[in-house]
Order: sequence, then C-alpha cells, then structure tokens
Amino acid sequence: MNLAVGLVYAFLLAPIVVVVLAALNSGAYLRFPPEGLSIRWFVAFAHSRSFTRSLRFSLELATVVTVCATVVGTMASLWVVRFSGRFRNTLRILMVAPLAVPGILTGIALLIFFYAVGWEKTGLAGLIVGHTLICVPYVFLITSAVLIRFDRTLEEAARNLGADAFKTFWRITLPLIKGGLISGAVFAFVTSYDEFNISLLLSGVGTTPLPIELFDYLRFSFDPTAAVAGTISIGMALVVVLITQRLVGLESLYLGGG
Amino acid sequence: MAVARAAANGAAADASRRVVGRHLLVAPALAVLVVFFVLPYLNLLVISLMTPSHRAPYLRVLTLGNYTTLLRDPFTWQVIWHTLWIGGVTTAISLVLAYPLAYHLARAPRRLRGVLMVLVISPLLVGVLIRTYGWMILLQDTGLVNQFLRAVGLRGAPLMYNNTGVLIGLVHVFIPFMVLSIAGTIQHIDPELEFAARSLGAGAWRTFWRVVVPLSLPGVFAGTILVFVLTVSSYVIPSLLGGFTVLTVPLLVVRTVTELFNWPGGSAFAILFFVISLAVIWLYVRAMGRAAHLS
Repeated sequence: MNLAVGLVYAFLLAPIVVVVLAALNSGAYLRFPPEGLSIRWFVAFAHSRSFTRSLRFSLELATVVTVCATVVGTMASLWVVRFSGRFRNTLRILMVAPLAVPGILTGIALLIFFYAVGWEKTGLAGLIVGHTLICVPYVFLITSAVLIRFDRTLEEAARNLGADAFKTFWRITLPLIKGGLISGAVFAFVTSYDEFNISLLLSGVGTTPLPIELFDYLRFSFDPTAAVAGTISIGMALVVVLITQRLVGLESLYLGGG
Repeated sequence: MAVARAAANGAAADASRRVVGRHLLVAPALAVLVVFFVLPYLNLLVISLMTPSHRAPYLRVLTLGNYTTLLRDPFTWQVIWHTLWIGGVTTAISLVLAYPLAYHLARAPRRLRGVLMVLVISPLLVGVLIRTYGWMILLQDTGLVNQFLRAVGLRGAPLMYNNTGVLIGLVHVFIPFMVLSIAGTIQHIDPELEFAARSLGAGAWRTFWRVVVPLSLPGVFAGTILVFVLTVSSYVIPSLLGGFTVLTVPLLVVRTVTELFNWPGGSAFAILFFVISLAVIWLYVRAMGRAAHLS
C-alpha cells in the first residue's frame, strides 16, 4: 500500500521536478544522465523582452486582482457566515460557481458580453474583471472556513465594553482572522498569476500575461527558457502553500466533508 | 412619553440602518457575480440564437440555425463523444490512483499529513500550463520516458500528440481534486469502526472493502463528478499534449469563436455541450442513487 502511494506521489511530482531540472540543465534537451548544471536559461529568460514584459504584467495584474478579490471575498464571507440567514446556501453556491464552470467558457462569455455592451478595448480592466471572478471564490472559501471557527464571544465582549461595530472589527476580528486573509490573498495572487483560460480570450496586444506568452512559445519552440518561467511558478506555489499551511492549515481546502 | 417614543423611533431607525449596513457587505460580491458572471452567461445563450455573419461577430436576427447545424453534423457528435469518453476514462483512472492516496492522507498522523497536503496541493498552484510543459518534456519522442525505454532496449512509444498523452496529463492534473474530495470524507469515518472490524476478525482488505469504501462513497461521488466536469472543460492539456489530433469540445469552441469568428456557432456548441454534460451527470447521479438503494 505504501509503495503504491509513493508511486502516485512520484507521478504527481514528476513533471514539476522535471521542469526545474530542465531550467537548470546545461543542454537544450533534458537528457538522462543529466548533462550538467547551468543558469544559462535563466539568463536567456532575463534577456527575453517578451518574457520579462509579460512576467511584469502578470505580477501587476495579480496584485490588483488580489486586492480586489480579497476585499470583495472577505466582505462576502463575513456576510454569508453571519448575516445571510435563509439565503446562506444560495449565496454559497453562487460565490463558488465561477469555479464550477469551465474557465474557457467564462472567458468566451466575457469576451462576447464586453462586445455586446459596447466595451471595445477591454485590455487590463477586462483581465482584472475576469481574474477577480476566478479568485474571489478562493478567498471566500478560505476566509469562510476561518470565520466559522471564530469565537464571537470575543466580539461580544468588546461590544459590551463599549466599542462600536467598526472598532470591534478593526481591533478584534481583523487581527484574529488575519491568517485567513493572508492565505486567501496569496491564493488569489497565485491563481491570477497562473490563470490561463480566461487570459487566453481576454488578453490583447500589450496585455499578455505570462501563461499566454508561454503557451504561444511552447507551441513552436521547445528550449528550456520556458522552464525558467515554470520554475518561478513552482517556487511561488511552494511559498503560498507553506504560508497557507502555517497560517490556516490546508484542511480548509478539503472539498466536501471537511 | 414623547421622549420615550422618540427614543424608540430613533432606536428602530438605528437598528434598520445597522441591518442595511450589514447587507451592504455582500453587495460588491453580488454586483461582480451578477454583472460579470450571470449576465455574460445569459448573454451567451442569447448570442447562440443570433445569426452568424462575415462582416460582424453576429447579426441580430434570431435563429435556431446554429443548433440545427450542430445537431445534424456528425462531426459535432464525434467531438462530443470523444470529449465525454476522455472525461470518463480520466475520472476512472484518477479514482483508482487517488483513493489510496486519500486514505493514506486521511489516516496519516498530524505532522505527516501537513507535509502530504503540501505535496498534494502544490501541483494545483503551479498551474496547468507548467505541469503540461513538464509532461511534454517527459513524454516527447525525445523525452525522458522514451530515452529510458530505449536505454533498456525497448522501442520508443508514442506518448504525446495522441489520446495517451492527453489522458496522462489530465489524470495528473486532476488527481489532487479527487484526493481532496475523498480524503475529507474518510477523515470523518471513525477509525474505531475499522478497529472494531479488525478486532472481530476481518482482515485488512475485508475491512477496507466492507467498512471504509462504503462510508467513503459521498466523497467518491463528489470527487468523480468534480473531476469529470473539470476534465471535459480542459483546454490546455488537449491542446498541447494532443497536438492537432485530439479534438475536444473546448478546443473546438475556442477555435470557432476566435479563429472562425463564428460567435453564435461557438456559443451554441458550448451550450449544447453544457446541456449534454448535465444530462450525463444527472444519469450518473440517478445510477448511483439506484445502486445505493440496492445495497
């Protein structure tokens, strides 16, 4: 049993390990036994204008989306956990719905919708909208999980001692759910950074996130410059997961049952 | 008297202001979801009934022509069937591979479980594109797997630009979802039940099949539906790992919309497939329900 489990984990991690190896490989093709270590591909990446431009664009886009998604998602989860009453389940489903439908379809729907309402050059704003749509559910799920476990008697104590709602939230609630907020925010960041399907349909000239740049590149070339972009993503993913595990515990991501 | 009534009125006004204030919390999320999610999808439905045109994305003339063209075209059904087939096979393989992982994860001691969760969830955050790229490196004709096969004297195998490559990629990308679904349920199964079965003489296998598996079915159920839906919606993997030989609905829809500029046709196809997928899932739910009744 343990061997089987180990093999599946190996399967899960193989392509990721391979990408990092390819980025550090001195040759253009990953061979076994490996040819040697080199950072030449990192240098090539840094020199590639299209890659560095799209990297910066992705980072900027992800930052804006993170702020929007965290604010919107946290407010929504506060409401759903505390004030939603009989609308609770409906809202829960609605908040998570963007994750349940194919991203590619959402991208197409947005593309056509923007045209239909007369919004021509959607550019960065269009991408922000699309990405926020995908990221809010993650923020919502993580902060909801934290809020459900939150001890409201602490707030009641503060109110009893004379603090108003806002002060209570700012001084008591917020610091205590900080972990959930940060986890939700970093999750949103990475989700936006990695987002492909929606970006595919909404990106334009000059507004090309890194995954799209990478996709175009991979269709025709194959050198490990692309692996450098992959290594960056992998590093980011690890950092986010470790932060989330530390602050909230990854169990909040159990689907169904947890 | 008047003072008391004024105070009561004031308090009531305050209270209703507080209630309104509360509900404003959900306003931004609702606005975003209604305007940028619900409306676009409704619009998609409307567009699918418009007439395609060469000069504009579509003509504002209602027609069912898009749907009839699709329904009559055998190619449509070929692609739909192929996509559903890929969905089914991927789901089945993912289930088999993910279940041991889920059980192991759910029953692991706390510290190990943290590490394992990191291993399971990190791939999700790396993004589909990067993981697909990793598979490209592995599965190509000159890739690592074939290098290994040739090194031990076997012939190379075509693992990419075909169904095999696509299935491998899809299974890999969606196993974590299956694991998370099932592990959550197994974690709620009281280990005492397993101990009880063992102490009554049942072997490990028997306990597993008779105790754990039946109780884990809700998670299996949710996981299979989730993975199926995600698989048939996938674009990147069939595109990069399938080359031009594996055509799935998402690929065709995107091509219709962005390369052929046939927005009504693409929308109609998307909606048609959505309805068919729902039907498949509904049949599955019914079959599971009936199986549950029989057992």
